[in-house]
Amino acid sequence: MQTTVVGNYPKIPNRPRPARLRQAINRRDRGEITSEELARIEDEVTVEVIGEQIEAGVEVITDGQARWDDDQTYVMRRLGGVEIGSLERYLDTNTYYRRPEVTGPVSWREPILVRDYRFAAENSAKPLKAIITGPYTLAALSLDKHYGSREKLALALAEELRNEVQALAEAGAPIIQVNDPVIVFNKDDIDIFSRALTRMLNGVQTETAVYTWFGSAAGILPALLDLPVATIGLDFVSGRDNWEAVKSVRFDKKLGAGIVDGRNTRIESIEQIEESIRRLSQSVTPDRIYVNPSCGLEYLPRETAFEKLKRMVDGARKAEPVAA
Amino acid sequence: MPALITNAVGSYPKPEYLAQARSQFSQGKIDRAELDKLERKATEYWIRSQERIGLDVLVHGEMERGDMVAYFAGEPGGNPIGGMKLGGLVRSYGNRYYHKPIIVDKLTWPGPMTVDMWRYAQSLTRRPVKGMLTGAYTMVEWSFDDYYPSRREAVLDMAPIIRREVEELVKAGAKYVQIDEPAIHTRPAEDFDLAVEAMHLTVDGIDAEFHTHICYGEVEKIYPDMLRLPVKQIHLAFMNTDFEYLKLMEQVPFDSGKDLGVGVTDIHTRFIEDVEDVKAGIRRTLKLFPPERLWIYPDCGLKTRTTDEAEAKLQVMVDAVRDIKRELEID
Repeated sequence: MQTTVVGNYPKIPNRPRPARLRQAINRRDRGEITSEELARIEDEVTVEVIGEQIEAGVEVITDGQARWDDDQTYVMRRLGGVEIGSLERYLDTNTYYRRPEVTGPVSWREPILVRDYRFAAENSAKPLKAIITGPYTLAALSLDKHYGSREKLALALAEELRNEVQALAEAGAPIIQVNDPVIVFNKDDIDIFSRALTRMLNGVQTETAVYTWFGSAAGILPALLDLPVATIGLDFVSGRDNWEAVKSVRFDKKLGAGIVDGRNTRIESIEQIEESIRRLSQSVTPDRIYVNPSCGLEYLPRETAFEKLKRMVDGARKAEPVAA
Repeated sequence: MPALITNAVGSYPKPEYLAQARSQFSQGKIDRAELDKLERKATEYWIRSQERIGLDVLVHGEMERGDMVAYFAGEPGGNPIGGMKLGGLVRSYGNRYYHKPIIVDKLTWPGPMTVDMWRYAQSLTRRPVKGMLTGAYTMVEWSFDDYYPSRREAVLDMAPIIRREVEELVKAGAKYVQIDEPAIHTRPAEDFDLAVEAMHLTVDGIDAEFHTHICYGEVEKIYPDMLRLPVKQIHLAFMNTDFEYLKLMEQVPFDSGKDLGVGVTDIHTRFIEDVEDVKAGIRRTLKLFPPERLWIYPDCGLKTRTTDEAEAKLQVMVDAVRDIKRELEID
C-alpha cells in the first residue's frame, strides 16, 4: 500500500506566508516582470509544493501542477488547431476554466510537459508521477468547430498526445497518470473513452494510471478494468456507488482509492481513513491499493490540503498492519 | 396592468473611493461609521442613477457586499450568519482567488443582515426597492461544511435563517424580495428537490412578491423542473445565450402563473448592445408571453462592469422597453 495524490496542489498559501505566485502573475500582467521571471517563480513554487507533499509523508507525488490554469488549457493551448475561448464552469464546482476551441486538425508540435517533469523529478526525493489530461475529457470540455463528432476529436487527440506520453516515458517518468474524469458524467461514451485511452497509451512500457473523480464508475467499471493501464483511480467521496461497484467485480488492477475529501475542509479522522482502507481491502489486496484524496487538492486552502495529506498518511500507516 | 417592468439583478460597480475604503476598513485604518457613510453615499448614487435612467423597480446596488455568499459569512463590515466564517483562499479561475466560507457550527440568524441598507435605499426614492438575498441552497453549495453530516441537513438549517431575514425585510416594507439561487443547477438529479423544499421553507406564507435569479449553467437540465419553485418570477440570462431558452419554453410552456424575468443585455461584455438588438430580443420573447408577464433586466449583476458601461447597458434596456411599449400602445 502506498500513499499518493491525484494531481494539483493549492498554488498559494495563506497569510502570513506570501502569495508569491499570485503576486508574480499580477506583476507579469502589469508588465513589471518578464515571463522568464514568472517562470522562475513557478519553478520555486513547484519546489515548495514538492517539499510540502514529501513533508506530509506522501510516497508518490506530483509536481503540484502549479503552472496549470486548469486541466484542459495547459495541454490544449500547445497543440495546433486549438484556440482558447470563453470562461466555463468546471463540472459541478464553482470554479471556472477557459474552454478550448478546436478550429482545425489537432496536432502535437513539441513536448508540452517534459520540461516540467524533468525539473520536478530533479527536485524531488520521492518518486514523482507525470500527469496528463485524458483525450476524452479534453474532447468533452472543448468546443469542437472542426471534427463534427466527439468521437473523432477524442481519437485525434489520443493519436497526437501519444507523442507526449512517449516523450514523458523517454524522460524517465516512473508512472504516467491520465486524469480523465468526465467519463463518469457521460457513461454512454465509454466505448469512445476506452478506444481513445487505448490509442493514447499504445506501445508505452511505463506504468500507467487513469483517474476519475466527482462521480462513480458504477456500470463502466468492467470496461475500465479492461483498459491497458495498471491503476484505476476512483472517487469514493463524491462517487458513493463506487463502494458497491468495486465489490461487484474482480478488481485485478491497482486501485487509486480516493477516500479523503478533496472538496471539503472537514478533516477526516484517522479511524475513518483506517476503516475506509479496511473496507476496500476486502475487494482489493492491500499491496495493490494507492491511498489518495478524492480529487486534486486545489479546491482547498493550502494549509487544509497539507493537513489532509498528513492525516491521510497517518491513517494509511495505521491501517497497514491490519489490512496486510 | 403593469407590463414590461424594468429592474436590475442586484449588484452595481463600486466607486473607487468605496473599493479603497473597504480595503482600509479590513486593515483597521477606518471605522465602521466611516465605511457606512461611504456605502450610503454610493448607494444614493445608484438610486439616483436608476431613477434618471428610468427603471421602474430599483435595487440598492449591494455597495456593502463583496460576494453574494461571503457577505453573509464574515466579509468585513457584514453581520455574519452564526456558525459561518470565511476560510482560506481558494482559486476560482486564472489568478482569481476568494475566501470561501465555511460552516463551522450550527447555523443561527444573527439579527438583521440586510434591512438597514434596504431601508436607507427605499428612503431615497418613491419607486419600489427590491430586497436582495441569497438562497439557502446556494449559500450551502458555495461553502465548505465542517459541521453538518449532510448537505441536506445544512440546507434545511439555512432556509429558516434566510426566511427570518425575508420576514424582517417585509416587515420593513419590502414588496418585492429576490432570492438568488445561481447554484441551483449544480446537481439537479441529486439536489433539485432539496432546493425546492428550501425555497418553500424560505417564502411560504409570507406576504410579498418573490423572485429568483438563476444564472449561467445548464439551465436546460432544470427546465421545466424550475417551475416548481414557489416564486412569482424566475429571471434567466437570455442575452448571453442569444435567447436559446425560448426554445425550451416553446416545447414546454412556462407556468402561466409565473412571470418571466428576461435578461436582455450581456453583463460580461464591455460592448454596449444596440437598442435594436435588445428590442429584437424582447419581441422574440413577446411571441410566447404577453407583456404583462415579462420583467426586463440585464442578464446578471453589473458589478464587474465600469460605472459608465453599467449605466449605458441599463439605458439601452430602458430605451428598448420604451420603444416596444409605444409599438404595443401600452401607456
